[in-house]
Amino acid sequence: MRSLQFSLNCALWAALLAAAPAAAQQVTLERDSPLYAEPRLDASQVAQLKTGATGEVIGKQGAWLNVKLPDASGWLFSFNVRFPSQPASAGDSGVGSAAGRVFGPRRNVSVTSTIGIRGIGEEDLKGASFNSDQMKLLEGYAATKQAAEERARGSGLAPARVEYMDAKK
Amino acid sequence: MKVAFRHGIAAALTAAVAGYAAAASIDLGRIFDVGRDLRTAATSLDEPEEIAVGREVAGRTLGAAPLVADAELQAYVNRVGRWIAMQSERPDLPWHFGVLDTPTVNAFAAPGGYVLITRGLYDMLSNEAQLAGVLGHEIGHIVQRHHVKVMQQSALVSAGARAAQRGDRNVLVNNLIGTGAEVLARGLDKDAEFEADRIGIVLAARAGYNPYGLVEVLHLLAARTADDTSLALLFKTHPAPGERLTQLGDALAPRVAVLPAGKEPAIRQVDPRTPPPAASKPAPVEGARSLQQQEGGTTIPSGGSPPSKGLDAGGILRGIFGR
Repeated sequence: MRSLQFSLNCALWAALLAAAPAAAQQVTLERDSPLYAEPRLDASQVAQLKTGATGEVIGKQGAWLNVKLPDASGWLFSFNVRFPSQPASAGDSGVGSAAGRVFGPRRNVSVTSTIGIRGIGEEDLKGASFNSDQMKLLEGYAATKQAAEERARGSGLAPARVEYMDAKK
Repeated sequence: MKVAFRHGIAAALTAAVAGYAAAASIDLGRIFDVGRDLRTAATSLDEPEEIAVGREVAGRTLGAAPLVADAELQAYVNRVGRWIAMQSERPDLPWHFGVLDTPTVNAFAAPGGYVLITRGLYDMLSNEAQLAGVLGHEIGHIVQRHHVKVMQQSALVSAGARAAQRGDRNVLVNNLIGTGAEVLARGLDKDAEFEADRIGIVLAARAGYNPYGLVEVLHLLAARTADDTSLALLFKTHPAPGERLTQLGDALAPRVAVLPAGKEPAIRQVDPRTPPPAASKPAPVEGARSLQQQEGGTTIPSGGSPPSKGLDAGGILRGIFGR
């Protein structure tokens, strides 16, 4: 019975995904911000938006979100928006909602429901004692610089020169 | 001469700290010799001592939650993490990375190169650039010795009790790093977290990743509400994710035009055959229930409801940041 329901759910979600891959991705402006014509701070400004304005996200690029508003569309600096809160529900102890999985990346993902399983909190850390078996395992997994570099190159990662940045004064 | 003396004392103290760092090449006893009280020990930790303290903290954290039993995953995270750490000013620390088997959403840095990320947080990540941002943040704490500085402060605060404790080396060790892995539960000051965020962005960019992976993770976290128990400790020990986004945005704004676009490789998933996180305490009242499902792009837990009219931030964010 459950597997039937599961299959139906999957079919429903697959259909929804195909029809509306970016359904209702609403964001709210955290501070007054310009809406830019392109994802650049020096691009022309389509509009000056006020805190609290809402729009629908239709794309992303680097630090930018492509947002559609009732009267205009353009690009917002992603740091200036917030997504709606996702209430903690009894069936979701922190690994993401069912919808999150569906809207998520097109990859195989292991979904683990952790209902009833509690994680580690402050008291657990305070009360913890050294686990030498686990430490031995951890030490066994260490990667050499060479292994790390080979894997990075294999993944197409090329090191870049980037200077550290200061906090805004 | 001084070093030899210290080693001699350390040997004598090994029994006193037995059980702590017994297998470490540098044992913690070395830090507490006759001429070095808690205060001087904390304020002048050299690198081997920093590593020994970090190993102790990491080992105790592993006592609270074991590693995910997926050797390939752990090896993968070590290669990714080491590559990012190689872009820092401390590339030759003995870096260790691990994924903890707990649904809690958090990541920890212990001095000397120990970085632990929870499975709860790992499972939220959509690509390797996001992982790079999280690891880069933790590496930033280690590079800047943030926790060592906290230890110094706490050692200074408790200096008055020092004399009474001098006879008990275990108490001294615990005074420096807290009972268990308490130092990780205390948290750092806000500026240290903001600084680690900025470093995380830069290290990820240097390593060739999309620099904004950490920003995406902060958006995911900002959409979680404060009553989410899996994030309780993270929210207690860090500034609100929204505040971190604001700070990062202000710091990054002058730089967005020159940061490289970088790559977003796929992230390795936890082996689906790996058992779900184990309860860290006696069996929960309702009983642990787990579902392991292979997603072909369309998986939801059985019994899940169709999309409601309301907004689901997790879904929205995954949709946006997933690709």
